[in-house]
Amino acid sequence: MAKWKLSKSQLRDAGQGYLFMSPTIFTIVVFLIGPIIFALYLAFNNVNLLGDTSFDFVGFDNFTRMATDDRAIIALQNTAFYVVIVVPTQTILALVLAATLNAGMKGEKWFRVIYFLPTLTSSAVLVMIFMWMYRPDGLINTILGSVGLPTYNWMNDPSVALISIMIMNIWATAPMFMVIYLAALQDISESLYEAAELDGASAVQKFWYVTVPLLRPVTGFVVIIGVIGTFQLFDQSYMFSGGSGGPNNSTLTVVLLIYQYAFSNNQMGYAAALAVSLALIILVATLIQRKLQKDEQVY
Amino acid sequence: MKKTTLRKSMGITAFLLSGVVLTACGGNNGNSNGESTAESNNGSSGDQEEVTVRLTGWQSSPTEQRYFEETIDAFEEANPHINVEVDTIADQYMDVLRTRLIGGEAADVFFLDAFEAPGLIEAGVVEPLDDYVTDEFNIDDFEDPLIDAFRREDQLWGLPKDTSTLALFYNKEHFEEAGIESPPETWEEMEETAEELTTGDRYGFGIVTDLARLHFIAESQGGEVAVDNQANFTDPDVINALQPIIDMRNEKEIGASPADVGAEWGGDMFGTERASMIIEGNWMIEFMEDAFPEVDYGVVEIPKIEEERSTMAYTVSYSMNAASEKKEEAWQLIEFLTGEEGMETWTSSGLALPSRQSVAESLDYTDDEIYAPFMEGASYATVWADDTNLPIINSNFENQFSSAFLGDQSLEEAMEEAERTANNEIQD
Repeated sequence: MAKWKLSKSQLRDAGQGYLFMSPTIFTIVVFLIGPIIFALYLAFNNVNLLGDTSFDFVGFDNFTRMATDDRAIIALQNTAFYVVIVVPTQTILALVLAATLNAGMKGEKWFRVIYFLPTLTSSAVLVMIFMWMYRPDGLINTILGSVGLPTYNWMNDPSVALISIMIMNIWATAPMFMVIYLAALQDISESLYEAAELDGASAVQKFWYVTVPLLRPVTGFVVIIGVIGTFQLFDQSYMFSGGSGGPNNSTLTVVLLIYQYAFSNNQMGYAAALAVSLALIILVATLIQRKLQKDEQVY
Repeated sequence: MKKTTLRKSMGITAFLLSGVVLTACGGNNGNSNGESTAESNNGSSGDQEEVTVRLTGWQSSPTEQRYFEETIDAFEEANPHINVEVDTIADQYMDVLRTRLIGGEAADVFFLDAFEAPGLIEAGVVEPLDDYVTDEFNIDDFEDPLIDAFRREDQLWGLPKDTSTLALFYNKEHFEEAGIESPPETWEEMEETAEELTTGDRYGFGIVTDLARLHFIAESQGGEVAVDNQANFTDPDVINALQPIIDMRNEKEIGASPADVGAEWGGDMFGTERASMIIEGNWMIEFMEDAFPEVDYGVVEIPKIEEERSTMAYTVSYSMNAASEKKEEAWQLIEFLTGEEGMETWTSSGLALPSRQSVAESLDYTDDEIYAPFMEGASYATVWADDTNLPIINSNFENQFSSAFLGDQSLEEAMEEAERTANNEIQD
């Protein structure tokens, strides 16, 4: 750095540049970098905000505590299970929906609008509607019962509750990714399909050997966004369980646990440590995913 | 210093976010009454300067709201220079209140449940009231167990605004159909009755699985749920006392929880006649009148367990924010609301029972067929309050007890797990 010698005009140029950027820099520092640094600071402290504010530095205590915290482990298991089921399902569903909508059916535009509607609805409203449909005497059980299928106590049976949330979320988020796939599908050159046809490929083969490989970069994006979104599951499980994560911790997710520690138990330091750990987990998951994708790249 | 401001701004941001979530969930908030009353009093301030006191609480029904406003109006009439601004927190009251206290935005006077009180008192955000209380206020008039729930370290941190107790509701029609003459007197009798009442489409007994409801049952054999501010669920006396509740559902199949039948809560279950008997509080009376007026029911004291009468009492205080800038006026408000006149206006609704003996006498609930069992209960009830960690102990109990209740694990296993996780979470 010391090797550089800036002339006066260069300095003035740089100053001007930073001056123009200052509103953005200010916003980023106050609302993004500041909170991140503060959260890191909190994670290494025992924090009391109520009454006499106190910050006691405790080193890695907040992090080692997680290993013995059963609820943190349950929350992580629930969240991981949720990610593993929801991300592939919603990605495949989105791809299939997009492909069918791109096939040139009649009334395609209407279907696009209808499919996209769940994404436009506020998640709180969605949860309310689903909770109503999930009641033991609600719509879903009535339909299942009328065709002779088994019915479930969707919200109060610990073995089913998280699956209920999964179904709801897949239904609500798949259309958003469908739109992304749709946009990507329009980019695939018609000539590739023509060439495949000349080679005698069937519709399924065209989908499998032309569409899917060419969509791979988009799939990567969809999966990464999906992983990040599902790891942060909060609002649905919060509303489903009234904030408790019950029944029997079955809908307890990592973010819900963070909320409970931060706002109900007044242990902001431990909550911040959990949040930092979650961020690391998401980062690692994303990196692994990107690595895998790079290895597979064929074009 | 920098730390504090940053902390505050984060607190406020977080609070705003939680506000978004809450409004989205609840969809109703009744904070419209503050402004209108404030305006109506503007002219009559006299020589004293006008002061606005903020009051935070919750309201669970329009009827409750109406009586509450009436009581506040009476106060404003008696104290023309004080405006009361009421704002209602619709959901997750404690989370919101705590966040506001952290952000320095809390009201001057707020509702405080005895169950949550020790935590806030310990944090030093509640104003002790001893110095404000005058002889005229007649503090000895309060029921001892209720006011003691707000005493800590020899100081008084809140005045109980009212109380509620539990009693046994039974469906008279179902009793007639089954040919049962009188409601059960003992727990054993109740189980027998429940068995006779259980039919294909309804259960004899509705079970609410909260620790707040089961606490007195859990301690009926001499065990204690919390010892030294730590969970103590594995005490054999506690487990033995709770086992019959589980057996009623899983062994005898004569009881079920509201969730089992798809009801929102006990009142819903009883009102829709999916349970013939249920232990609920006096808040049910108004609910039944509004929602299920055609159901003919009776109320008796909770059947004796081990030859002893027992029930739960719940109480909420008016407490003062230690950071309030209008303590004098805030006290005047508390003094009125918990004084004989204010309490009589408020509790004449029947939604909650008075915490003052004199008011209980003057309202004459003891002769009312429906209210008498609740008033009787007040004399021997256990108040739902313990120490700072009760909320944590409570939530861990609920989580595990419900799984034992559903038959996923034995009660011993569930209680061991609950005790371990609770005491793990308590830490400091």
